[in-house]
Amino acid sequence: MPNNSLVLQVESHVGANSAWLGGEGDTIDGMLPKVVAEPKSAEALTGLLEWASQEELTVSVRGGGTKLDWGGVLGAVDLVVSTAGLSSVVAHRHGDLTATVEAGATLASVNEALGARRQWLPFDPPWAARATIGGIVATNDSGPSRYRYGAPRDVIIGVTVVRADGKMAKAGGIVVKNVAGYDLSRLMTGAFGSLGVVVDVTFKLTPVAPASGTALIELGSVDAMAPIVADLVSSDLTPSAIELQWPPARLLVKFESVESAVESQADAVARLVAARDASCRVTVHRDYQESTLWEDHAGRWNQPGTLVKVSTATNAIVPTLIWLREACRDRNVAMSAQGRAALSVVDIRLDGAIDTQAQLIQELRERFEVGAGSAVIRRAVAALRQSVDPWGPIGDGLRVMQAIKQRFDPDGRLNRGRGPV
Amino acid sequence: MRSTFIASCAQVVGAEHVVQDATEMAVYESDGLAKLRSTPGLVVLPGTAAEVQQVVRLCHEGGVPFVARGQGTGLSGGAMPHPDGVLIVMTRLNHILDIDIPNRRITVEPGVMNIEVTKAVSSQGCYYAPDPSSQVICSIGGNVAENSGGAHCLKYGFTVHHVLGLEAVLPNGEMIQVGGSALDPPGLDLLGVLVGSEGTLAVVTKVTLRLLGKPAAVKTLLAAFDSTEEAGNAVSGIIGAGIIPAAVEMMDRTTIEAAEAAVHPNFPPAEAVLIVELDGAEAEVSALFDHVETVCRDVGAREIQVAKTDAQRARFWMGRKAAFAAMGRVSPSYYVQDGVIPRTKLPEVLGRIRALETESGLKIGNVFHAGDGNLHPLVCYDDRIEGQAALAESVASQILTFCLDVGGSITGEHGVGADKADQMPKMFTETDLDSMQLVRCAFDPQHLCNPGKVFPTPRLCGEVPGPYRAHPIERAGLAERF
Repeated sequence: MPNNSLVLQVESHVGANSAWLGGEGDTIDGMLPKVVAEPKSAEALTGLLEWASQEELTVSVRGGGTKLDWGGVLGAVDLVVSTAGLSSVVAHRHGDLTATVEAGATLASVNEALGARRQWLPFDPPWAARATIGGIVATNDSGPSRYRYGAPRDVIIGVTVVRADGKMAKAGGIVVKNVAGYDLSRLMTGAFGSLGVVVDVTFKLTPVAPASGTALIELGSVDAMAPIVADLVSSDLTPSAIELQWPPARLLVKFESVESAVESQADAVARLVAARDASCRVTVHRDYQESTLWEDHAGRWNQPGTLVKVSTATNAIVPTLIWLREACRDRNVAMSAQGRAALSVVDIRLDGAIDTQAQLIQELRERFEVGAGSAVIRRAVAALRQSVDPWGPIGDGLRVMQAIKQRFDPDGRLNRGRGPV
Repeated sequence: MRSTFIASCAQVVGAEHVVQDATEMAVYESDGLAKLRSTPGLVVLPGTAAEVQQVVRLCHEGGVPFVARGQGTGLSGGAMPHPDGVLIVMTRLNHILDIDIPNRRITVEPGVMNIEVTKAVSSQGCYYAPDPSSQVICSIGGNVAENSGGAHCLKYGFTVHHVLGLEAVLPNGEMIQVGGSALDPPGLDLLGVLVGSEGTLAVVTKVTLRLLGKPAAVKTLLAAFDSTEEAGNAVSGIIGAGIIPAAVEMMDRTTIEAAEAAVHPNFPPAEAVLIVELDGAEAEVSALFDHVETVCRDVGAREIQVAKTDAQRARFWMGRKAAFAAMGRVSPSYYVQDGVIPRTKLPEVLGRIRALETESGLKIGNVFHAGDGNLHPLVCYDDRIEGQAALAESVASQILTFCLDVGGSITGEHGVGADKADQMPKMFTETDLDSMQLVRCAFDPQHLCNPGKVFPTPRLCGEVPGPYRAHPIERAGLAERF
């Protein structure tokens, strides 16, 4: 098919000026797509994917482009679908604390809209200004507030997807409690677009708390971290985030509530830490100071290098970090860590020779039995994701996952190679 | 059922754990939804996960359908046996396997009762959050199958939010581990799909659950109103003020009277009562509780009782949790419906239910998880009067239509089971259902695992065109999967 006629064909499904030949800015993992399409409606997307199915084209999806270097290395791509044209807040049912938003809407724009009613979608993953709902759902990415409010898979209540064969299907609904049928919303969450292209998502929302404050705990060393996190978790405090940073070894404990509860709980953190370890320093940050603290924390994800998500049992995360520090030091790899201390889901940043990193990640994985921990490469250069499986051992559920992928996308055309199956 | 097959099953579980006698079998004919019954071909009570696996393997080899059953408290016929199949009763797998307080985890067999989980960790300041009304008699395996909620799910979520890992026997007899003690297992979210799949994808043999720490403060009030509208306005006022209570429950006059007759919770006479519970940090609970009281008074509460002791709180909850069973005191029979609406549509839908009550001549009591819009209308009838049972069923079905009209769901917690499979096309398109059945086909292409439930018509799974395509990394020989 001549290239220009390809664009015309695509435009017949998505409308004029909504498709272009793949150019330099459209490459994913170094691969140049033949054509890029930007459908403006679910119907246009349906028509496009039905056509792509008939033409047996491989398809990849792009939102804000913040995570194109996540997941497996893309195997092939003829058509890139941009969700930029599907970016509206379809409904904000503030009385019901739910909202339906299109996949291409950025998290920041959604939360700006919901903020008018003092509600929010309680996600705070990195790059909120550019990261889209579709991408956040596809990667089940989350931020510090996951501790209290959950990950995307915990607040998703409905989804509309277009399948590889171009058929549109929905699951769940707009009500917060619903057990009718299989939970395809959760299945799509974290699937890296391997089972369908998400059109819109319905979420349960959270009211914006009237006050917030953060206790910053500066630890003498990382070894002091585990007992303090254990104390925080077993206390009756209700923080919305317990984040670690290292180095320097610090904990950020955020409270969101009425003013009196924020103040009293932040003070309680200071007492709890003092009782455990007098060498730690606790300061309470409010207002501008507090937002600066969290902006700096989010900035840690912007530092260059590989990001590996390490997940362990609660009492295993600090020993894992200490092991990693030694291992990195021996091999001349720079390392830092940040993430959910109390959930034991931490992002490790590595910077060093590719093969050394690959070896480190393999050794790290060998420390975990399947189910008791994992080390998943999130962001990395293609060379690293090529030399070591980004997901690591999945366990004996893999065969079922492969069977699901086969049923939804028998020809393996959707985000080939990108997802876990 | 072939005698060789029965003998093989007996060999696996032991002859004393096989039920074939018609009288003994009667107990297993239905679950909590007694109107749907069927005599199973065979009942087995395995004692270990390995025995479950062997029974399932025998079924797979022989093409025999099987249904897993816990305590049989389900209300949608999800555990109704298959007449030509094996009913696998899981009650002997009732051991708590591991308690890990530092990591806030507990691992149990599926036959363990919901309440036993909390009891096992209570002395250590922890509890298990999902608390369905039947929690003293329902098992964790059933909770996993149904994705059970309970009164406190408004704030704490459902079973799916508290299951971290599962061991399950697939319909082909293969045993898999999904998730475990750590969060975020790599791969597709099989936990998310298995929880709530109503026993149609696998038989769960082990469950790892998340435990929570007991809150510092709990405050509960009971507010009485002159109308359900006022009570509904109070709920809107509370949520509108940005407060997410641990629970908000509503009962109307019919159910208040029934509860009063059965368990004497000493509720004030009213058209509607609300039970509102807040929990969390001391300062937060006390500030917000004042606000809740003010909202209730502002919308016209005629009486507010604040629980001053745990015993008083327990009394409020006893009244609420006894509501279903208590209907037996005021009506010879009743039909329990389970539907969901967006919470703000409560006045509209209640109005339609009331009109339906007048029109049908059948009394309808209402119990709601008001915070999350989950309605439980109780349609009263007398099965000695010819035609009333059928009328009650049609009234209950119409209420579901009201729910769907406002964008709701045909079930919030009781499940689809056998009861509502034919309602699914009212909520989902053919493609929606087909997509769900793609998952079914991936797990159970032979349709042996709890067949006839959830979906009105089974999808022909067929063979998947083409071989499995390996991950490019695998193809490149750079990694292999195991």
